Amino acid sequence: MNGAARAAATLALLATGGCVTGNYGHVSIDEPIADERLGPLVPGRATLADCLAALGAPNRVFEYAVGSDGASGMALLWSWRDQAGWGLDVSSGDDSIPGSVSFDAVTAELPGYMLWFGPDLVLQRARRGLVGELVPGRLRPSPSDG
Amino acid sequence: MIPRTLAVLSLALLAGACAFARQDTNEPLDAAVVQTFKPGTTTARDVVEKLGAPTEVVQLGKRTAYRYDATTQKSTVLFLLLVNFGNQDARSDRLWVFFDDKDVLTHFGASYGTHRTQYAMPWEDVHEAADNQSRDANRPGVGK
Repeated sequence: MNGAARAAATLALLATGGCVTGNYGHVSIDEPIADERLGPLVPGRATLADCLAALGAPNRVFEYAVGSDGASGMALLWSWRDQAGWGLDVSSGDDSIPGSVSFDAVTAELPGYMLWFGPDLVLQRARRGLVGELVPGRLRPSPSDG
Repeated sequence: MIPRTLAVLSLALLAGACAFARQDTNEPLDAAVVQTFKPGTTTARDVVEKLGAPTEVVQLGKRTAYRYDATTQKSTVLFLLLVNFGNQDARSDRLWVFFDDKDVLTHFGASYGTHRTQYAMPWEDVHEAADNQSRDANRPGVGK
């Protein structure tokens, strides 16, 4: 048995024992939004109604730019996930032996669009990015903050 | 020896199983009901009477926004000895209704996706426009 055959046989043995498993996975959540759909939505002109008609319902809505009179704008977030990737699971196959290793190329970062509207509900700005970068921090303190 | 090893490996690759799973969260939204909402006329009470309790309520200064949603997720896994193939497709129906300080509807936005969810293998495109259109056509209030 030459080296290649020995390596293949070893890999097959490991796989048969559940030690090494390759994975190819695809995760799709909601419909991706193409950049072209935002083309007609010009800041300073497009209204909230225009944006809802063009993009449908957002995933999240946030309070934005609250004035002293209580008037507020809002920020709307659309996000989706469409990722595929290879992964590899390596485990001992024995619960008494620690050392299960998993590698997954599908990351948790989601792309999205955020649109900000002023109190007049006219689009102020739009930005594409990762959800973690786009979503604002808490705007109102929770009761536990004192 | 190498051809025999390859043959065994090929057989091992072919031996396996498959699994399908479906998970639904909330009832799909009724698009025909949503189409009856009229900004300037419909009130928060009207919306709640027709759709029930919202999933989320957001305060926007003097305004409020209610979110209604439903999600369908379909998963497919093909188990082989050396490699597994998995696909997960999740899509939602979403509705946001926006009210002024008098609880009168000012805007609403709706997206319908639960009926587009597919069982598929990971190399398949589950977002083909023609596929979406044919599924939309079979859902009342969504297809053109």
